[in-house]
Amino acid sequence: MAEPTVPPLSPTPINVAGPDTARRGGGPSQWADDLSPIAAADWSIERAAHLLERAGFGGTPDEIARLAAMTPQAAVAALVDYHTIADEHLTAFERSDVWDPSLRDFPVSRVAATERAEKTGEAMGVRIKPTGERRLQPVVDRFFYWLRATVLETRRLAHWWADRMVATHRPLEEKMTLFWHGHFATGEEKIRDYRKMEQQLALFHRHATGSFRELLVDVARGPAMLAYLDAAQNVKGAPNENFAREVMELFTMGVGNYTEHDIREAARAFTGWIDNDLAFKLDADKHDEGQKTFLGRTGNFDGVDILAIILDQKVTAEFIAGKIYRFFVREDLSAALQAKLGAILRDNNYQVAPLLRTLFLSRDFYSAPSFGTRIKGPIELIVSTYRKLGVKRLPGIPDLHLVSRELGQILLNPPTVAGWAQGRSWITPGLLLARGNFARDVLFPDIINFTDPNFNPGREVKRVNDRILAGMEISVATIEDTPSEGGGMGGMEGGDKTMANVIAGAEDFNTRYGSLIGWQEAVRRVKPIPRAAAQFDLAAMVLGAGAKTAGDAVDHLLTRLLRAPVDAEVRKVLVDLLERQLGTRELALAATYLERPLRLVAHLIMSSPQFQLC
Amino acid sequence: MRSSSRLGGIARRDLLRAGFGSLVLGASGNLERSPFFAEAAAAEPQDGRILVVVELSGGNDGLNTVVPYGDDAYYRARPRIGIKPERLRKLDQHIGFQSTMSGFERLYKDGRLAIVHGVGYDQPSFSHFASMAYWQTAAPNRGELYGWLGRAADAMDPEGHANYIVNIDTQQSLAVRSRGHVPLVFDDPQKFTRTGFAEEAAALKLIAGRGQAENEAQDFMLSVSRSALDAEQLVRDAWAKYRTPVDYGLVRFGLERVAALIAADFPTKIYYVAYRNNAFDTHVYQSDVHARLWTYTSDHIAAFVKDVARLGRGKDVVLMAFSEFGRRVKENTSRGTDHGTAGPAFVIGEPVAGGQYGKMPSLTDLEDGNLKYTTDYRRIYATLAGTWMGHRETESLLRGNFEPLPLIAV
Repeated sequence: MAEPTVPPLSPTPINVAGPDTARRGGGPSQWADDLSPIAAADWSIERAAHLLERAGFGGTPDEIARLAAMTPQAAVAALVDYHTIADEHLTAFERSDVWDPSLRDFPVSRVAATERAEKTGEAMGVRIKPTGERRLQPVVDRFFYWLRATVLETRRLAHWWADRMVATHRPLEEKMTLFWHGHFATGEEKIRDYRKMEQQLALFHRHATGSFRELLVDVARGPAMLAYLDAAQNVKGAPNENFAREVMELFTMGVGNYTEHDIREAARAFTGWIDNDLAFKLDADKHDEGQKTFLGRTGNFDGVDILAIILDQKVTAEFIAGKIYRFFVREDLSAALQAKLGAILRDNNYQVAPLLRTLFLSRDFYSAPSFGTRIKGPIELIVSTYRKLGVKRLPGIPDLHLVSRELGQILLNPPTVAGWAQGRSWITPGLLLARGNFARDVLFPDIINFTDPNFNPGREVKRVNDRILAGMEISVATIEDTPSEGGGMGGMEGGDKTMANVIAGAEDFNTRYGSLIGWQEAVRRVKPIPRAAAQFDLAAMVLGAGAKTAGDAVDHLLTRLLRAPVDAEVRKVLVDLLERQLGTRELALAATYLERPLRLVAHLIMSSPQFQLC
Repeated sequence: MRSSSRLGGIARRDLLRAGFGSLVLGASGNLERSPFFAEAAAAEPQDGRILVVVELSGGNDGLNTVVPYGDDAYYRARPRIGIKPERLRKLDQHIGFQSTMSGFERLYKDGRLAIVHGVGYDQPSFSHFASMAYWQTAAPNRGELYGWLGRAADAMDPEGHANYIVNIDTQQSLAVRSRGHVPLVFDDPQKFTRTGFAEEAAALKLIAGRGQAENEAQDFMLSVSRSALDAEQLVRDAWAKYRTPVDYGLVRFGLERVAALIAADFPTKIYYVAYRNNAFDTHVYQSDVHARLWTYTSDHIAAFVKDVARLGRGKDVVLMAFSEFGRRVKENTSRGTDHGTAGPAFVIGEPVAGGQYGKMPSLTDLEDGNLKYTTDYRRIYATLAGTWMGHRETESLLRGNFEPLPLIAV
C-alpha cells in the first residue's frame, strides 16, 4: 500500500548533522523562555514534526506534512481542540466476564479469606464443604481466581489503552491521559480490581485537557485512589496520613509547602472516605467532624474543602503547570517562567487546554533547548514507533506487557504513587540495548517462538499442573522442591504416599493447588489478546517517496524515524550496509527483495541513541 | 592480596580502564571540571576496597528488627505485633533480632556486623520519596540532582572511568547519579545484550555511540551507547563464568550478581542494590510479611558475605544496609505500623568491627509518637567514604562535618 507522495527529498539529508542543523530544527536560543507565539514564517516541517511528537506520539511524513501546511495556530488547534475530531473507530473496552458481586469486599489476604469462611461458612460467594477433605479448598481456589483474573484483565485493559494511543486521531487526548496516569499514579497490583483502574482511566480521558479542579476532586474521591492510598484505614480517632500526604506532596503542592501538622489535619478531614465497590461513599460514623486548621484556615473541613483550599494556593497552579511543562517541553524550568505558567493555569480557573495551547505555540517550545532533548519514555517509544511506521492498531506480537516491563514502564502499574521519573532515568546501558531489542521484535517478529505470556502461570504453578495431569494426588503434587535442588518429580514413593494421605486428611486447604485452580479458571474466562504482528511495508514507503538509490532510502528512513540527527559517518555505515545487502545502489534493480534489507537499516536506526529522543 | 593476574591481560585491562576515559566529559567537551574535582584529585582511594550499599525500600520497621525486648514500653506500644522475648534471637540483655534473622545473628556473633542505632536526621520526612532521596543524596530537606555515591565517585575518580559504579537494577538509582560517571546499570545479566542479526553485527559496533552531541540529552545518550556495547560483553562473560555453592536465599535482590562481578575482577568500587518497590512499607497486617522480608534479606546478605570470603576478597568488601526511615512506635489499628523516623542501619563485612554503635533512642521520650534520632546517617557515609574508601574530603562531599564512627577495624 503506497504512501501518498511527500515533499521531495532535500539535497542535504534532513536528519544528518551538519552546518544547517540550527535552521532545520531548533530555533535560536533567544527563543528560550519566550512564551510569545511562533510566527507563520518560522513554521517548518521539522517544527511540525516536533509538535506532533510532543503533543502526540509522532506520525508518518504525510501526517507531519499536513500539519506543516497549516499555520502554527491551526496546527496547534488541530491537536488541542480535538473534541471536534471523530473517534467512532475506537471501541469501548470489552470486558471479560470475570467479576460478579460476590467478589465485593474482597479479602485483603488469603488468611483473611479463609478466616472469613471459617467464621461465616462462606467467602466470595463460595461455601465451605460440609464434609470431606480440604473443606476450604473451593474458597481458596476462588481467592486465587480473582487475583489472577484481575491481573490478566488489567493487562487487557493496558493493551486496549495502548491500542487507542496508536489508533486515535486525537493523540493529545491520549498523551494527556498518560500524563495524568503518571501524575495520579495508582497501580492495580495493590488495588486488585481492574474495574477501578478502568473507571479511573475514564476520568483521565474525560478531564484530559479540561478542568484540573474537577479532575483532582474526581480522582481523590475515585475508588482507585481511595483503595490505593488506604483511605479506608483513615478513620476518626485513628487517622492514616498516607492519603493526605500524597495528595499534597505529589498531586498538588509539592514538598515544602505545608507542614506535618497540615497533613494530620487534612487526614482528619478525609476520614470516612470509603470506596464502596465502584462508588464513593462517606461513612459518617468514621468521619471526624471537628474543627481543623489547615494552611492557615480553620473550619469543620471535609475532604473536598481541603482540596479547594489547596487549589486556592498559588503554589498549586505553579506545581501543576510546571509538571506539564517538564513533560511536554523540557526539564529545565526557571522559577520565573514557572510562575508565569502557574498564572496562566490559575487565570483559566485550572482549565488545562489554554496552557497547552500557549506552550505549543510558544517560541520557547521550538527553541533549541527544547528541540530533540526529550528522552522518550517506554510507552511513548512503543506507540511512536508504530505510528511512524503507519501501523494503525497495536499488534499483539510483541506482547505489550512484556515489552513495557522490560523497558521499565508498565501501564496501570507504576512502581509507586510518585509515578515514573522522566528523562535520563529511562536510560541505562542495559535499557538502551533492550530498546534495540524491542525494535527488532517489531521489524522481525519471532512468531515461531512466540508464546502468549498471559497463558504462563510461572514455574511453580506449571510444576503442580504437570504433576496433577500425571495423576498425582494433591498433597504429593504440591510438595515444595528444596530450594537448591532443581525440578523433578520429588521422588515420592511408597511410604511417602501414606504421609501424603495423612496430609490430605489434616489440611483444610492447599494453597499451591488453589493457585493452580485459580489460574486455570481465570485464564479460561479472560478473553485472549489477539496475537498478530504489525503489518507495514517499508519498501512501498521508500519507493513511494521517490527514493532511487540506497542513499535515498536511508535518508527517507532517517527522516521518518528520527528527531535528532546522526552524523555523516553513521549515515555512510547505513548506506554501505544497504548497498551490500541489495548488491546494488539502484533500488529499481532490488525492488523485488527490498523489504528485509530496509528493515535491517531501520533496526539499526531504531537502536540508535538518537531514536530515543524527540 | 593484590596480584597482577587479577587484571587478566592487557586487552582486558584496556577495555576495563583505558578505553573510555571520561565518557561524559569527553563527549561534549562542554562540562567544566569544578575546582572541587581538582582538589579531590589528591585523594587516593585504598586500592581493592569495595563498598556495597543495600537499600531496603519502604521504611523498615526497626523496632521489630532490632527488638528492644528489655524495654516494657515496646510491648505497651505494640500489644499485638510486639515480638515476645522467647521468639527473639537475643544479642544481649536489651535487644534481639527477630527470629527469621539467623544470618544476621551469625554475623553479629562473629563480630562482622555493626548495628548503628537510631539513625536519622533533623526534620525527618515521612515521605518515601523525599526521605529516600535525602538518604540517596545525603542532602536532607534540600533539592539535589546527584547522588552521594555519584558525587563520591566524581571526587575519588575525577577522570570518570567506566564501570566505577555498578547499580543492579532496571533503572539508575538517584544514589549513583553522577556528573562524571555513567553507572553500569543492569538487572538481568542474561538479558543485558542486544540481539541482532549477523548482517548487522559489524554495523552495530561501528555506529554505537558515534556522533557529536548538540545538547546535553544527546551527549548523555551517546555516552551511554558507547559504554553499553563493551559493558555488555563483560557482564555476560562474568555471569556465565560464575559458579558458587552458596545459596543466596529465596529472594535474590542482586548481591549474587555483585559477587559475580567481583569474581570477574571488575574494577568497580561502588555497588548499589535495592530491595525495591517499597517492600518494607508494612502499614497493614505486618507480622508475617515483615518476618518474611527479613528471612530473605538476612539470608541474602549473609550469603554474600560468605561468598565474598570464598572468593578471597573478604577483607576488601564492606556492605551497608539501610532504609529511608523507621516506623512509628505504636502499632496502628490494622496490625501494622505507619511511617516513622529513626531506625537501625547495618554495616557488615570482615573489615568491620562488629557490635553496637550509637544510642538506642528512647521509646518514651518521643516526638509526636516518633523516635528521636541519635545518629545522623551522614556519619555512616563519612565512615564509609572516608575511613573505608580513603577519601579525605568528606566534608566537601557531605556538605558538612560528620564525625565517622569507629566501626572499621584497623
